[in-house]
Amino acid sequence: MGKVSRSVLVAAVVLFVLTLCPCILQAAQKDTLHYSWSANVGPLNPHAYSPNQMFAQAMVYEPLVAYGQGGKITPWLAESWTVSPDGKTYVFKLRKGVRFSDGTPFDAKAVKMNFDAVLKNAQRHNWLEFIAQIDSTKILDSHTFQLNLKHAYYPTLQELCLIRPMRFLSPSGFPESGDTSKTIKAPIGTGPWKLVESRKGEHDIFEANELYWGTKPGFKRLVVKVIPDSDGRAIAFDTGEIDLIYGSGGHGSGQIGLDTFTRYQSMKGVMTGISSPLATRVLAINSNRFPTKDLAVRKAILHGVNKAAIVKHIFLGVEPQADTLFSPEMPYCDLGLAPYSFDPDQAAALLESAGWKFVDGNEYRTRNGKELGLDLCFVGNDSLQKSVAEVMQGDLKRLGVKVRLVGEEKDSFLTRQKSGEFGMIFGDTWGTPYDPHSFCSSMRKPAHADYQAQLGLPMKKDIDRKIGEVLISVNEKNRQELYRDILTTLHEQAVYFPLSYMTNIFVYRPGLKGVGFGHTKYEIPFETMYRD
Amino acid sequence: MLRYIAKRLLILVPMLLAVSVVVFLILRLGQGDPAMSYLRLSNIPPTDQALAVARQELGLDLPLAVQYVHWLGKALTLDFGRSYVTGLPVLEEILYYLPNTLKLAGFSLLLTLLASLPLGVWSALEKDRMPDHLTRAVAFAGVSMPGFWLGFLLVWLFSIHLGWLPPLGIGGLDHMIMPALSMSLMSMAINTRLIRGNMLDNMHARHVLYARVRGLPERVVVGKHVLVNSLIPVVTAIGMHVGELFGGAVVAESIFSWPGVGRYAVSAIYNRDYPVMQCFILIMTGIFVLMNLGVDILYAWLDPRIRLEGGSNR
Repeated sequence: MGKVSRSVLVAAVVLFVLTLCPCILQAAQKDTLHYSWSANVGPLNPHAYSPNQMFAQAMVYEPLVAYGQGGKITPWLAESWTVSPDGKTYVFKLRKGVRFSDGTPFDAKAVKMNFDAVLKNAQRHNWLEFIAQIDSTKILDSHTFQLNLKHAYYPTLQELCLIRPMRFLSPSGFPESGDTSKTIKAPIGTGPWKLVESRKGEHDIFEANELYWGTKPGFKRLVVKVIPDSDGRAIAFDTGEIDLIYGSGGHGSGQIGLDTFTRYQSMKGVMTGISSPLATRVLAINSNRFPTKDLAVRKAILHGVNKAAIVKHIFLGVEPQADTLFSPEMPYCDLGLAPYSFDPDQAAALLESAGWKFVDGNEYRTRNGKELGLDLCFVGNDSLQKSVAEVMQGDLKRLGVKVRLVGEEKDSFLTRQKSGEFGMIFGDTWGTPYDPHSFCSSMRKPAHADYQAQLGLPMKKDIDRKIGEVLISVNEKNRQELYRDILTTLHEQAVYFPLSYMTNIFVYRPGLKGVGFGHTKYEIPFETMYRD
Repeated sequence: MLRYIAKRLLILVPMLLAVSVVVFLILRLGQGDPAMSYLRLSNIPPTDQALAVARQELGLDLPLAVQYVHWLGKALTLDFGRSYVTGLPVLEEILYYLPNTLKLAGFSLLLTLLASLPLGVWSALEKDRMPDHLTRAVAFAGVSMPGFWLGFLLVWLFSIHLGWLPPLGIGGLDHMIMPALSMSLMSMAINTRLIRGNMLDNMHARHVLYARVRGLPERVVVGKHVLVNSLIPVVTAIGMHVGELFGGAVVAESIFSWPGVGRYAVSAIYNRDYPVMQCFILIMTGIFVLMNLGVDILYAWLDPRIRLEGGSNR
C-alpha cells in the first residue's frame, strides 16, 4: 500500500470515528442517569452504618420482605413466609433463581451467613429491638430459612424491610474472617445495581445488574456526583450536569432548599413532585418542667400557634400541615383524632381558667408570682427551625407566654433532647418503615426527647406498659386497640406539637420517564426510570 | 544561611507540638460529642448504650491525657488515626485531597501574579489618570467582595447564563477558572495596589534619580531600577497570599464541589471528626511555617542589603 493511500485510509477512519463520536456520546448519555448526593456512597457494606449511604445500600442490597404502600409487607427475596401461632418462629421460602451480581446463587446458606455476621456484631445494632430478639437461625433446605425469636415481636417483618443491617451480601463478598463489622471484600448484592467505580469527592458509578431477577433498570449506568451544597446541586441541575434531584427538601441535609423547589415548581419544562408523608416534624413539649407541666399550658400552646401560616409561608406548601403525631396514612394511625385548631381565644381562656393572668400591665402572664415562660430549643444553623421558632415566639407572646429561643449547634441540641433540658424542642419521627412501632418503642428509653417530654404525665408508666404490650402482641385487633389507646392519650395530653409531615421531592426534565417515589425515605426507585 | 534555615526548621518541632496540644484540647473542650455526631451520621438513635459503644469504638472513653499520648505516639510515626466518619487513615485521605487543593491554589497564585503585575505597573505609570482610576475601582471591588459571593456571580454568568464554563467538579483547566478567580481576586486587588504604591515610592528614590541623570532610557529606569525594587515587598505579600488562598480554598471548594482538602476539612468540622481536624491543622501549620521560611530565604536572596546585614551580624 502506497504512502498516499495509507494516509487516505487513516483520514477516512478518523473522519468516520469523528462522525460517529456524537452518536456514541449521545447513546452513552441516553444510557446514563446523572444524580447527585452530598458525599460518596461509601464502601457499601450492608451490615454497617456511616459512611455507607442508605440510598446506595438500598440499590445494591435487597431485603427478604419489602415495605409497600401504607405499610403493607410484600414478598421480595422471600416469596412467602409463615409465622407460628406464638409469634416466635418465622419460616421464609426464598425466591428461586435469584443470583448475586457476581453469579453466586442466593440461597438459605447465604441468608444464614448474613444473619450470623450481623449477630456476631449484635452490640453495634442494639438500637434495633429485632436484632436483640433473635434467638437462633436455621437452614431448613436450600431455599427455606427459619428464624427463631426469644419472644414474640410483631415488627419483625417491618424491621426486616430496613435498609440496614439485615440485607444480603454475596458469600464471595465476605472477608476471610467472616466478620463484616470492619470491612467487606466487595459490595456484591442481589439488587438492580452494582457499584463499579468510586472516585473520592468526585463521583460513584453504578451499572445495571444484568443478572437481576426483577425488572431490569432502564439505564445502563447511574453516575452519582458528589455535590455537598444544596445550591450547588440546583446549579448542576440548571446547567444539565445532573438529570434528577430527589430526596428530602430543605437546606442542610436536604437535596435543595424549599424556596428553590418552589422556583422549579413554577418553571416551564421542569417536572416536580412531592411524596406522600414519610415522617413528622414535631416539637416535644416537656410535661416534666415548669410551666409546661400544666396541661392547660400545653393545650394553650397547641391552640395558640397559627400552624397553617407556618406551613404556608415557611414550608411553602411543600410539606402538608400535621395535626397528629403520625400521619393517618401510617399503619395503625388513622384514628380520627380531632386536631387542635388555631384558636387564640380558646388558648387564652384555657390559660385564664388555669390561673395564668396578666398582672400589673405585665407583658407576660404569671401565676403565684411566677412568669409564664419557657425555652424553645432548636439547631442554630437550621433556617427552617429558626423561622418556625420565631413565629411561635411571636404567636405565643400575643397570648402572654414568654418564649426564650435557644439556638445551639447540633450536638448540644441532641444532648438537650437526651437530658430533658427543654421546654419545647424540635424533632422528627423516624418515618417509614419505623413509624409507629420503633418510634413508640423509643419513647420508653430515657435517651429520647419523647421519654423526657412524657415523664411528667401521670399515666407515663401505663403508656410504656402498653407500648411493651403492643410490640409483642400477636393479635392484630388487640394491637390496633393498644395503638389507639397510646396515641389518643398522647394526643389528649398535648405533649406533642405536630408541625408538618415531611415529604420527599423530585425535580427532573420531561425527557426522563418513570420517576416515582419509593415507599420509604431513603429508597429511590432508580430502576423504574428511563429516557424517552 | 544554612544555620539560619536549620534553626528555623528546628523551631518547627516545638511549634507543631504546641499546636497539637492546643488543637487537641480546644477540640475536646468545645461543646458537642463526636460519638453523637457519629450516631447521627449513621441514623442510629443516640441511646446511652449506643453512645457507649460508639465512644469505645472511637477511643473516646479513655481519659483526655491518655487519648493525647496515644494519638501523639502514633502521630510520630505519621499515623494520625482513622477518620470517625469514613474509617480510613486520615493522612491517606488528606494526601489524597491535598494535590487538588495545591493545584487550585497554585493556579490562583499564578492568576494573581499575572494580573496584578501589569495592572500595578500600569496604574503607577498612569497615576491619577483613567487606568489608575479603573484599577483602583477593580481593586476596591475585589477587596470588598466576599469570595463566595463572587463565586455565585461567576457561576450565574459563565455557567447558567452563557454556558461557557462547567459550574462544578474537577476536570480540565476550564473547571479551574471560576474557583481560582473567586479565590484570587482579593489577593490580586491587594497586590495591584501594593505594586502601584511601591512603584510610586521607588520612582522618587535617589537611585532612580541618578539613573535618569546617567541618561538611561525610561524603559530601563522603570524596568530595572523601579520595578525590580518594587517587587521585593511583593514576595512577602505572596507568602501571605498563599495563606489567604488556602483559606479561600475552603469556601471555593465547597461552592464548586472541588474535591480538595478544604472541603474535606469543612465536612470534618461539621461532623466533629477530630482526627481529621487535628491532622489538617498540623499539616496547614507546617505548610504556613515552611512557606514563610521559603519567603524569608527568597527575600534574603533577592535583597543584598538583607544578606549583608545577616553577614555583619555573624
